[in-house]
Amino acid sequence: MSRWVRLAARNLRRHARRTFLTGSIVVVGFVAVTMTSGFVSQTFSSLKAATIRGTGGHLRLLDPRAAGKTDDEAAILLLDDWQGLAAIVKKDPRVVQAMPKLSFFGLVAKGEKSAAYIGTGTIPALERNASLASDTVVSGTFLSNPDADEVMLGSGLARALGAKAGDLVTVMATTPDGALNAVDASVDAVLSYPIKEIDDRLLFLPYAVASKLLRSEGKANTLVVLLKDDADVDATARDLSRRLEAKGRPVVVKTWLETAAFYRQVKLLYIAIFFFMGLVLSTVVILAAANTMTMSVFERTREIGTLLAIGMERGQIRTVFLLEGVLLGVVGSAVGAAASFVLRLILNASGIMLPPPPGGTRGNVLHVDFIPLAYGLGFAIMSLTLLIAAWWPARRAARLNPVEALGHV
Amino acid sequence: MRATDGPYTPRVSILEARGLTKTYHVGSEKVVGVSDATLALEAGSFTVLAGPSGSGKTTLLNLLGVLDQPDSGTLLFEGHDVSGFGERARARLRREKLGFVFQAYQLVPVLSAEENVALALWIRGLPEEECASRACMALAAVGLAGLEDRRPDALSGGQRQRVAVARALVGEPVLILADEPTASLDSETAKHLLDLFEELHRARGVAFLFSSHDPRIVERAERRISLQDGRVVADDRAATGARP
Repeated sequence: MSRWVRLAARNLRRHARRTFLTGSIVVVGFVAVTMTSGFVSQTFSSLKAATIRGTGGHLRLLDPRAAGKTDDEAAILLLDDWQGLAAIVKKDPRVVQAMPKLSFFGLVAKGEKSAAYIGTGTIPALERNASLASDTVVSGTFLSNPDADEVMLGSGLARALGAKAGDLVTVMATTPDGALNAVDASVDAVLSYPIKEIDDRLLFLPYAVASKLLRSEGKANTLVVLLKDDADVDATARDLSRRLEAKGRPVVVKTWLETAAFYRQVKLLYIAIFFFMGLVLSTVVILAAANTMTMSVFERTREIGTLLAIGMERGQIRTVFLLEGVLLGVVGSAVGAAASFVLRLILNASGIMLPPPPGGTRGNVLHVDFIPLAYGLGFAIMSLTLLIAAWWPARRAARLNPVEALGHV
Repeated sequence: MRATDGPYTPRVSILEARGLTKTYHVGSEKVVGVSDATLALEAGSFTVLAGPSGSGKTTLLNLLGVLDQPDSGTLLFEGHDVSGFGERARARLRREKLGFVFQAYQLVPVLSAEENVALALWIRGLPEEECASRACMALAAVGLAGLEDRRPDALSGGQRQRVAVARALVGEPVLILADEPTASLDSETAKHLLDLFEELHRARGVAFLFSSHDPRIVERAERRISLQDGRVVADDRAATGARP
């Protein structure tokens, strides 16, 4: 085989300009595959971090009756004695914190203006530590006193009420037994949540105030667990579920991914875009390389005729041309890998700021991840693409009639 | 000077054509390339297909070299009917039994002289070292020792044609078919090449079949088969003194 590789390599070198042009397309294709993979990977990481922080943690512990129920059905089920549950959960060394969340809705009023809200009762210190909310403060200060009658409003809700930090509002809600309750609270902060529909209804208040408002002391819709490491999610979910069941406190444990429909949709969308781009790129490379190879076959028709005349098998002729294609793919990929590596270093050192990922609140510095799999994939895609591109010209070369080929002018 | 008998008695027939006919279609017109050609070539013979341009020399050479298939007629090689052979069998026959020399040398430009010659052995799948050593010997036999590493573009026309001869020779064929081998050469170089053909024919007993209207080849051939309008019109042997 080495003699045919040698022949293919020399033919490529002989037509240096043409080889350079086609090789450049392969290099650009390879760089596009690896850089896009690295960028998409980084975007997924940011989106994942934003999603986890958006819900305040990696795991959600729900009342056991929530099993098999929809999110809306599960939302009205309350966990009893969340403190006892949290004490057990926090014993796991992989856990950073366990935070109760009490979710409810009602009306909030300032003077004669009122608006519907979606409220969350939370422990301020834990919320600040775990969630995105602290990044979204546009005026005032984040909740600090766990027992004070204070609220934070989404900027859309604040605008609807004409409220600003320092103002007093009345938060009204219905207790589980149907009674209407209300609490006067001062606006500590106005938040700007990236999704407008949520921003128009967002209201945070300390858990103690929320539980008092709802007369649901010690209860929570969910206990949100923050882990040290994203990689521990599944194992910790399994272990906690087993441990709590063994201690007579069965719960439903849901991972962040199970509840992050938005993340899954965005990821699918990115993958579809990436696949489409790859398809377009491969088509361009195939067309360019096929054109080059066809030119090569045309120019070397007499040479092919000679090879056939001296007894070369048609399969051998095909192999020589396919080898030229694959060799171009391999060498182009190798150069592309080196170019990707250098370009990645340059971009990562550039400090370019990117806009926030979908659903995120903060932009990130451009970072292109190094994905060995993408390099392997780029190598395979480019080699295969060139093989496909060479197939038709190689087949044409192998099917030439030796007499006609020898007489080709 | 004429070629004389080699070490083998040129009586055994290696190639026999019986009524070979080949027609082409040029547009809607039917053109007769070769019509009802019947002839036999003996081992170690030195024969020329002669005739004016368009007389069917190259077509007949292609048919006899199993590069092309006849519309009708039979071709026997070493007693076996090869006219019905498929692609692979014909390629194998050309690879193992025949050698070809073309007017325009037809060397692979990216290969050295040695590699161009070895190419005829590469396609047989022989080991690299054997290919290289046999190629060097073939080059030495045609007087190109020391030029093994030169690429075709660094060789003169005569040297290139010698490389082509070495390539035809290296596989130890029983018959070498040469299509207008001197047409691209000046007369001095052509004379040296013909000397080489004769020497190889005498020393190795290789049969040669030329297609040419070069009078120098016609003069030296021991047998001349004349064609006109695709038909064999004369078959003269030097020994019979039938040649004009």
